Amino acid sequence: MSKLHLDRVSFSYNQQDSLVQVLDDVTLTINEGEFVSIIGPSGCGKSTLLSLLSGLNFPSDGRIVLGDKILEGPGLERGVVFQHYSLFPWMSARKNIIFGLEQLKDGRSHKELEAVTDKYLELVGLGNVDKKYPSQLSGGMQQRVAIARAFAMDSEMLLMDEPFSAVDAKNRSTLQELLLELWDGGEKKKTVVFVTHDVDEAILLSDRIIVMSAATKNVREEVAVDFERPRHRCTLSKCPKYINLRNSLVQSLFDDIDTMDEVESAV
Amino acid sequence: MLKRLFSITNIMFAAVLAISLIPGKRTGSQDVQIYTAGILIFTYVVFLVNSMLCKDKVRKQSMADIAAIVFGFIVFWDVITAKLDIMENMLFPMPGQIVATFIAEIPAFIEGLVSSIKLLSVGYVLALALAVPLALLIGWRTRLFRAVNPLTKVLGPIPPIVYIPYAIALLPNFTSASIFIIFIGAFWPIFINTLNGTFNVDRKYIDTAKVLNVNENTMLFRIILPAIMPSIISGATIGLVLSFILLTAAEMIGASSGLGWYVKYFSDFADYPKVVTGIIFIGIVVTGITYFFDKIEKRLLIWKS
Repeated sequence: MSKLHLDRVSFSYNQQDSLVQVLDDVTLTINEGEFVSIIGPSGCGKSTLLSLLSGLNFPSDGRIVLGDKILEGPGLERGVVFQHYSLFPWMSARKNIIFGLEQLKDGRSHKELEAVTDKYLELVGLGNVDKKYPSQLSGGMQQRVAIARAFAMDSEMLLMDEPFSAVDAKNRSTLQELLLELWDGGEKKKTVVFVTHDVDEAILLSDRIIVMSAATKNVREEVAVDFERPRHRCTLSKCPKYINLRNSLVQSLFDDIDTMDEVESAV
Repeated sequence: MLKRLFSITNIMFAAVLAISLIPGKRTGSQDVQIYTAGILIFTYVVFLVNSMLCKDKVRKQSMADIAAIVFGFIVFWDVITAKLDIMENMLFPMPGQIVATFIAEIPAFIEGLVSSIKLLSVGYVLALALAVPLALLIGWRTRLFRAVNPLTKVLGPIPPIVYIPYAIALLPNFTSASIFIIFIGAFWPIFINTLNGTFNVDRKYIDTAKVLNVNENTMLFRIILPAIMPSIISGATIGLVLSFILLTAAEMIGASSGLGWYVKYFSDFADYPKVVTGIIFIGIVVTGITYFFDKIEKRLLIWKS
């Protein structure tokens, strides 16, 4: 597999006879093995962008090319983790992972799938609660199961839509570290597209940050994040370069909200 | 300890037991008063055993209250029939008479129950096996759903009881006719609930399944079916109650066995002790079926909560 390319992608839908433009002429490239975060104020279309990448929605204009193929719906080479609903509540944590693995239909025996499941449940630290139903697990634990499933399925690309935003601060930082460990630890790095509204989270995790604009429904700016890995929250936050980057990103988000307000008041 | 011994229920039990043993005015009442006392003691023992097994204080309290109400009802009934003899003798049997009849009629009841359950289970299982997959397939296809849904709104609310005479005329024997009616009665609630459940199934499960690239069979039977199990079960419960009503109604019209037939047959002979006993037995059967159904529901929805 190789890079993901969005070529002049737009997305709009009809609502009571008026056209709602969600994304307007977005062009961007995501390289293989790259960790890219997408941030932006609410209404900038970042989640919609991810749903286009996952194949749940289709661009109204333009095209998305993965490797040498145009995207035509969901595919197993892309794993998706949603904000708070990636698990099936009627399956235990273990069954949720096995169910995902079964869909790969790669000829592995049930025993082999069980072994893979065990391995990833251990990796996310849930080996002892594998038989519990999602309703019996905390939000953070549920997201761990979802991440375990995504990594166990070993898809080349991971699409994550604000996966940690419903989790409390302490669990969030644990989950971020876990995600980086799994991303770094594999034989081949997965491409990750990570939607978030948390600037610190984006800097900690990504190679590159794409700032979306709610005013233009487009890419506002792209920022490379070249801090050395592994990164540590505490050391990073003291580094002047980090503070500058953080400030400029936050400023960028505020500016965008201001422009949008101007546009709206002009209308 | 003393307070527990002199609880309302215990005092009431002692009082009603004493009342039940006072000789009554109605002829023959002294022959059956031992049965009245028997059912009071039986109720009390059932209450005591349940109360001892139950740890929850609130539930314990309700059990005591229920027992008190039952005692009150039995003794009131006993007083106005056996003791004071102010009720018409043929239409209002004494409680002791009912208990005696019940014990004597157990073999007949079992026979009727077997015959009824046979019809019920065939018709009901048939409805379940047809309605659920069909509704899943139709509900999953928007265009089909939009065509079928208005039709169910016309056909569903027809009271199934009106099909009884036609079904009896149409089908070769009573067995097939009553199975057909039970089927119809159970089919619509199950079908309509499954259909709407499927059409309105939570998109988040569908999206998650789609990104896992599931095929159509997996989507229908491993995602949608469990996701809408709560609405299927509520349809199945309504269907079960309806089909039991229809079964007994059909038996009253055209059968020569079964529980509905039993009640109808003896009311033709004005044998009201048997009629009342039959009604009580049907009540017990329905309670038993509902109890089992609740157990199944809890098992199937163990993942909720």
